[in-house]
Amino acid sequence: MPDPVLSIRDLVVEFKTEDGIVHAVDGVSYDLFPGETLGIVGESGSGKSVSTLALLGLIPQPPGRIVSGTADFKGRDLLKLKKKELRRVRGNEVAMVFQDPMTSLNPVLTVGNQLGESIRTHFPDEKKEVVKERVIDLLKLVGVPNAETRYAQYPHEFSGGMRQRAMIAMSITNSPALLIADEPTTALDVTIQAQVLEVLRRVQAETHAATILITHDLGIVAEMCDRVLVMYAGHIVESGDVETIFRAPRHPYTIGLMDSLPKVTEDEEWLRPITGSPPSLIDLPPGCPFHPRCFLARERCRQENPPLAPVEGSAHQSACHFSDELIGHKSKFSQEAVA
Amino acid sequence: MLTYIARRVLYSIPVLLLSSFLSFLFVSYAGNPIALLRQNPRVSHQTLINLTHQMHLDKPVIVRYFYWLHDVFADKLGNSLITLQPIWPQITRTMSHTAQVIIISEGLAIMLGIAVGIYSAIRQYSIFDYMFTSISFFGFALPTFWLALLLQIAFTDIFLHWNVRIFYTSGLNSNPGGSAWSIDRLQHIALPVMTLLIISFALYSRYMRASMLDVINSDYVRTARAKGVPEWKVIMRHVFRNALIPITTVTALNIGGLLGGAIVTETVFSLDGIGFWFVQALNAKDLYEVMAYLVVTSVIIVLFNLIADVTYGFLDPRIRYD
Repeated sequence: MPDPVLSIRDLVVEFKTEDGIVHAVDGVSYDLFPGETLGIVGESGSGKSVSTLALLGLIPQPPGRIVSGTADFKGRDLLKLKKKELRRVRGNEVAMVFQDPMTSLNPVLTVGNQLGESIRTHFPDEKKEVVKERVIDLLKLVGVPNAETRYAQYPHEFSGGMRQRAMIAMSITNSPALLIADEPTTALDVTIQAQVLEVLRRVQAETHAATILITHDLGIVAEMCDRVLVMYAGHIVESGDVETIFRAPRHPYTIGLMDSLPKVTEDEEWLRPITGSPPSLIDLPPGCPFHPRCFLARERCRQENPPLAPVEGSAHQSACHFSDELIGHKSKFSQEAVA
Repeated sequence: MLTYIARRVLYSIPVLLLSSFLSFLFVSYAGNPIALLRQNPRVSHQTLINLTHQMHLDKPVIVRYFYWLHDVFADKLGNSLITLQPIWPQITRTMSHTAQVIIISEGLAIMLGIAVGIYSAIRQYSIFDYMFTSISFFGFALPTFWLALLLQIAFTDIFLHWNVRIFYTSGLNSNPGGSAWSIDRLQHIALPVMTLLIISFALYSRYMRASMLDVINSDYVRTARAKGVPEWKVIMRHVFRNALIPITTVTALNIGGLLGGAIVTETVFSLDGIGFWFVQALNAKDLYEVMAYLVVTSVIIVLFNLIADVTYGFLDPRIRYD
């Protein structure tokens, strides 16, 4: 295996609120290898966005606080960098695409200007014409038609899909080694989603950037990712390559996520949701955070939080005391994969 | 844009006509300009009848309104019904004094208010923020007349105790007809300027802080930070531009309102401005002077509304006037 581009160990992020301390990310570790696409899935509030925003110092501090952890990126710990050094990394070596393209672009500046800013910030001596030319090339790359005209337009003159294309173009201006896409298609129409994912894939092929794709859509993970992390209540509960996890999930939460999806091939009357609701991150249940909603739960789960441990080979890991009981469990996707 | 402005100006004509008619109606019922003469035993009955006729006071209100309207256009707002002097020169004289005070105080208030608002927002909950939030809270709550009187008393006392003249507490110049831009004039208008400055500063700094905070946590500011843009540039390029949009409206409307005469402030400091002039006209029940004031202020307010909208469209590309 090659050396990882990004290596996160024991990341803990908290938010101070009036009701108490929110444990948004509670001891997360993972590696990201060059050129791969890593999916992070989980419900809202599972800590999937916060764990990546924290790397770039983009969580508001206060109320947020990075309690502990290391994030080794190209031999440097991102969490220990000075503000100025971190700023040189942001938008240059590590870039982000955000969820809502309708609000993520500044309404009073032209799209070309905002894309150019990305270049000018890191290469202040670049000539104006060169910047403009590069921005127009990027707009063309992400499939914005009439790029020259679009360059001078404001975000409100772009449709949602076009804005997200512009956001993607903005993220790759400086050919980052790491691209973080935080729910890039959640705010878009289904038809536009497919197009934007296609753009993302093209961009990745072009830049060879390692990509973290944050989503709650398992379909997107199946389509786009090489490996996947499943997060629940600030913990990673399962990780492994996409095929393994979809065929033979070994954590009850992952199984629950998959079972709650509708399938077009079956005539289902009811969807099967995961019972109960996500726990309060201020007051996590003792033991395994998933036990109140788990069909396998027993006494041990109420007392002991299971660590993320390898199941069949080092690549597939699950944080469940009784993951062995799930061997041979057929997820909805497993039949599909076989077929 | 030009068509939009032209259309707005055209729209404002019926607004001004209607508002002037309603004001005329109310003001004409509020008092009779020759009532005082009637108490004077030396004025004969015939004189009163003649005057009543001359001022069209024997006609119905509607007809009187049209006589007045004729005077407004043909005779630059007409003549005073009491002193029979032309009104226009008085308007320009008093307005120039009011404008001088307003321009200085609002200019300072905008600069200080915006600067403090920005700093309070980026250092939210710091000691600086708490201090200025409290100050503007007080400024907001202070009644103008009280603040004006307080300043007046303070500087009068300083003069009486130590015989030091820092600021004058009334009037415009020490000698009648003094220069409009002189140390002497500045010493005279300093207190009214200070009064308006404190009150407007409170308004602007509060609005600016709130509007900065609205923007500072928005998604596009996070995008700018994610691009690696230095923080001060994020604030100036991305936050400030957007935060300025709501403040424009507040500022334009406030200045428009104040140009209509900072009535209380001018009265306390006996400043020969349009607000003080209006109060005197009102006491004398001089219908034409009161109406002249109301028309001038309506025009100013309509004009500043237009300025607010045009500036708004200039700052926010999403707003297009066509």
